[in-house]
Amino acid sequence: KAVAMAKLILLLLNWIFLCCNVAAVFEDQVGKFDWRQQYVGKVRFSHFDSHMQSSKKVLLASESNVFAALNTRTGELFWRHVDKTGPEGNIDALLQHGQDAVLVIGNGHLLRSWDIGVGGMNWEMVLDPGSFRSACLVGHQGAVKHLAVLKKTVISLHYLSNGHQKWVENLPESETVDFQAVYSGGNGEVYALGVVPNSHLAIVVYSLEDGEITKQVSVEAPWLSSIPASCSVISRGLLTCVDSTTMSLYTLDLHLQLEMTQIPLQTLGLDVDPGFRPSLVSHQPNPAHPPLSEFLLQLGPEHHLLLQHNDGQIVTLRDYKPALLASFATAGEKTVVAVMAPKNKTACSINLFSAETGRRLLETTLIFTVDPNGGKPEKLHVQAFLKKDDSVGYRVMVQTEDHTLTFIQQPGRVMWTREEALSDVVTMEMVDLPLTGAQAELEGEFGKKADGLMSMVMKRLSSQLIMLQAWIAHLWKLFYDARKPRSQVKNDVSIENLSRDEFNLQKMMVLVTASGKLFGIDSKTGDILWKHYLENIPLNAAFKLMVQRTTAHFPHPPQCTLLIKDKDTGLATLHVFNPIFGRRSQVTPPALPQPILQSLLLPLMDQDYAKVLLLVDDQYKVSAFPSTKNVLQQLQETASSIFFYLADSGQGRLSGYRLRTDLSTEQVWEVVIPTETQKIVSIKGKRSNEHVHSQGRVMGDRSVLYKYLNPNLLAVVTESTDLHQERSFIGILLIDGVTGRIIHEAVQRKARGPVHVVHSENWVVYEYWSTKSRRNEFSVIELYEGMDLYNSTVFSSLDRPHAPQVLQQSYIFPSSISTMEATLTEKGITSRHLLVGLPSGGILSLPKMFLDPRRPEVISEQSREENLIPYAPELIIRTEWFINYNQTVSRVRGIYTAPSGLESTCLVVAYGLDIYHTRVYPSKQFDVLKDDYDYMLISSVLFALFFATMISKRLAEVKLLNRAWR
Amino acid sequence: MASPGGQGGGALSTRGGGGARRMKWALELSVGNTRSRSDRQGGQGDVVYPIGYSEKPVPDTSIQETDKNLVEKRCWDVALGPLKQIPMNLFIMYMSGNTISIFPIMMVCMMAWRPIQALMSMSATFKLLESSSQQWLQGLVYLIGNLLGAALAIYKCQSMGLLPTHSSDWLAFIEPPQRMEIMGGGMVL
Repeated sequence: KAVAMAKLILLLLNWIFLCCNVAAVFEDQVGKFDWRQQYVGKVRFSHFDSHMQSSKKVLLASESNVFAALNTRTGELFWRHVDKTGPEGNIDALLQHGQDAVLVIGNGHLLRSWDIGVGGMNWEMVLDPGSFRSACLVGHQGAVKHLAVLKKTVISLHYLSNGHQKWVENLPESETVDFQAVYSGGNGEVYALGVVPNSHLAIVVYSLEDGEITKQVSVEAPWLSSIPASCSVISRGLLTCVDSTTMSLYTLDLHLQLEMTQIPLQTLGLDVDPGFRPSLVSHQPNPAHPPLSEFLLQLGPEHHLLLQHNDGQIVTLRDYKPALLASFATAGEKTVVAVMAPKNKTACSINLFSAETGRRLLETTLIFTVDPNGGKPEKLHVQAFLKKDDSVGYRVMVQTEDHTLTFIQQPGRVMWTREEALSDVVTMEMVDLPLTGAQAELEGEFGKKADGLMSMVMKRLSSQLIMLQAWIAHLWKLFYDARKPRSQVKNDVSIENLSRDEFNLQKMMVLVTASGKLFGIDSKTGDILWKHYLENIPLNAAFKLMVQRTTAHFPHPPQCTLLIKDKDTGLATLHVFNPIFGRRSQVTPPALPQPILQSLLLPLMDQDYAKVLLLVDDQYKVSAFPSTKNVLQQLQETASSIFFYLADSGQGRLSGYRLRTDLSTEQVWEVVIPTETQKIVSIKGKRSNEHVHSQGRVMGDRSVLYKYLNPNLLAVVTESTDLHQERSFIGILLIDGVTGRIIHEAVQRKARGPVHVVHSENWVVYEYWSTKSRRNEFSVIELYEGMDLYNSTVFSSLDRPHAPQVLQQSYIFPSSISTMEATLTEKGITSRHLLVGLPSGGILSLPKMFLDPRRPEVISEQSREENLIPYAPELIIRTEWFINYNQTVSRVRGIYTAPSGLESTCLVVAYGLDIYHTRVYPSKQFDVLKDDYDYMLISSVLFALFFATMISKRLAEVKLLNRAWR
Repeated sequence: MASPGGQGGGALSTRGGGGARRMKWALELSVGNTRSRSDRQGGQGDVVYPIGYSEKPVPDTSIQETDKNLVEKRCWDVALGPLKQIPMNLFIMYMSGNTISIFPIMMVCMMAWRPIQALMSMSATFKLLESSSQQWLQGLVYLIGNLLGAALAIYKCQSMGLLPTHSSDWLAFIEPPQRMEIMGGGMVL
């Protein structure tokens, strides 16, 4: 009995322990409101893991310095390693052999080997300094045990097993010769190939054993400028080059010859497309053996050839025309060529050809449907495998211009698609979903003018009927789904059945990526509902996305406008589209012949409820879009109250302009910040959709300290050009954007950027690095009008005689930060939190209460009454403040917040390499029942009580009657 | 805890009507009882007067004097009731403190409600005081007492911070000011 008792107590203790151990998000809430998508970035290198027949891995190394392995069945990540951003983490080369993948990182700074099975690191080696040129695996006698790395001045050989250096040799004449390629054919020699541009080719042969130079020759090649661009080694050490000026192929046997053999393309019956730079592709299936004697030659954008070198002769095996892409692949002993040819406007066909003969393999056609909203195919990654009957089967991963990866199986089934463009989101907006068709119709009915009583009644009845129908359909669906197990019920979201939910928690996320691809993502599930690729986006384009018309103006469709500006030419284009469907709008955007400096979205609307967009060109003239007569008239009426400011960081000029009635402008004010000492880093105004519910703060004695809520206030951040730690400083300037009046100026000495700023309500929070104390610091500035309001009905910057009171306080923060944003709610009643993206991948929800300059150093009765937290210099990071628990968001670049229909709830999207969406409740969920609310229990208790009252009432009556009879 | 006025009124009424009802039967041998005479007049008017009955009632002035004094005293009791409550209320006020929680709120509600209720039923109280000679003075005292009680309750509300007397209490009703200028712009793209 005692044992049983002890067990019971243990169980109880366990249970209590489990109950107490509760984090910010309950376990059953994981993934309920939030989702994360992980990306890799634009793929630079890819390798299919082919050392095992049943392997389903593909290795990707991207331009975003990410190395990852994907599951080829599902497209999901097996593992991912995110390196430093910038050139430090740049992946120069990816070499794979067996279980190992070797990366050369940071312009030849590091050599890293990974185990591709589990994604763990085998070894890491720091290389000698020198800029990286090329690397290759070196095999000998059938086994691959080494790796050669060619740098500008040295060549080194490393063991694959542990990365140790076998030998390192200086390259001869490296001052004049530019060594660009390294090659090994598996015969115990390593060739370093260099070029003196437009003069000659230098070949240095090293012995694999001890790094001794066994041969050194130089070959005349006045036409050659770059080896990787035009040369390739084929067969048993035959260097083959193609040159477009002489229209010839050149071959050179690296072992024997001292002079190049010229083979004019005309003798082969070939012709290069005008203006096209031809290129060569060879294939070496195993580094321990020489490459194949077949190679691919591209002579035009849609012209490929399979050539073979046979006894000193070049033979054309097959001419592919038209062919967009061609690529080699090896399965077992067989090597094939996959060629993609355009079929019609919307599809391409891929066929396999035997590399040895050039013959087409039967039943290998695969259809690739080109997405009309996507880019053109750019790269073909082929995974070939041997089927049971020893024939070759294959799957392809097509990489398109818009950074999309599509994995296709025969005969054209798309297994998965990855939108890698989403790893580089530039800007985004959240748009309300439209009401359901029936709701919208009902709303539209009241929006239109009445046309007779009878027809109105009929219309009303019909719309009610439609609603009833929809309701019954909904009920039926609920009933139907209830019978299925929960996992099978899929919420198929498609554009057709998209509609706003009752609390407006589901919205359309419109994302603009740096590649020029636009996405529409359902915020509830993270499904991509539409995508649109804008072609011809300049490399360094600036984007600005504006919502001109929301979904509230049925039957007018919602309208978004994207301003794309080429930073080099200054010319801009407008892309006008429907944010729900992603389609280009019917409205034709105006042509913008002049370079555009800025745009300005006015709260004025035209007769179709589209907000007016003003575009300021380099002559400071303004054009309006839409520019109907109505709009121009409205603009003329309100011109005197329309102001805009422009900041030119290069010239250190900050200037304000006023609109004239003829749509020209006049400069009203100008602030010059001397560029010799400091430069403008960023300017933050207030968000236009921000609401402030409370106009003041209640003091301990119950008087009111009114907030200085200037909607025209700008926070200008400057950083010193001198970065010496004793002299560097950052400055914060609070300027009124209408009058140019400097409201406040704060300078933080011995501080350095990057400065992250949030400007909202009556406060500015900024974060910087203090070089004096070597720590990150937060500082908050709050502005108050004082105990009286100057004018409680209107706010005009032109009539503000009193300067606001300024309070400031600073705090120590234990981590550096990546980005910062404030929560936003519908009416602004909910308390505010700061969302801080940390480099560790966490997103911290920091209550604004902790960043309050009124936090007292000495606690008094009044401060206690006000619920002020006593001042403590350190801000602590509490783990339950992480809103993304263990869902790390890599390289957070921005956080977007949007209000929902519920006052308590704010929608948050964090984007960077990954995209993460969740909801936050800064003041807890005060306006909605918790999702685990026990309706069953409550209702059953209610019913039970109700019946108990009924029964006891009846019993009491009977008893009274009996007593009366007595 | 019935109101003092109501209590007084109830006592008076039972005293007036209950005297007759209390006796189930009575044998009256004495003369000079007003009650028995009226009974006799109402019940059997033409009965022959018994021996020793005198037509002229013997006036008993002393008893009537004390009765009147008693009524007057009761009326003053009623009138002074609210005033007498005040020290008690003060004590409760002091004890309950200024924190806003369920018990002090209940106390304040009671303190405020009782005088208001009394003031509302002022006419009923006046009827009670009708029999008194100093009816108006008593009424005034009663009114003042109740008003004082109400004032005390209001003072308590004030000290608890329940009265919207500060500007902070009206803060939520201030509309955000209308914006006169439209401004926008930014860094040169």
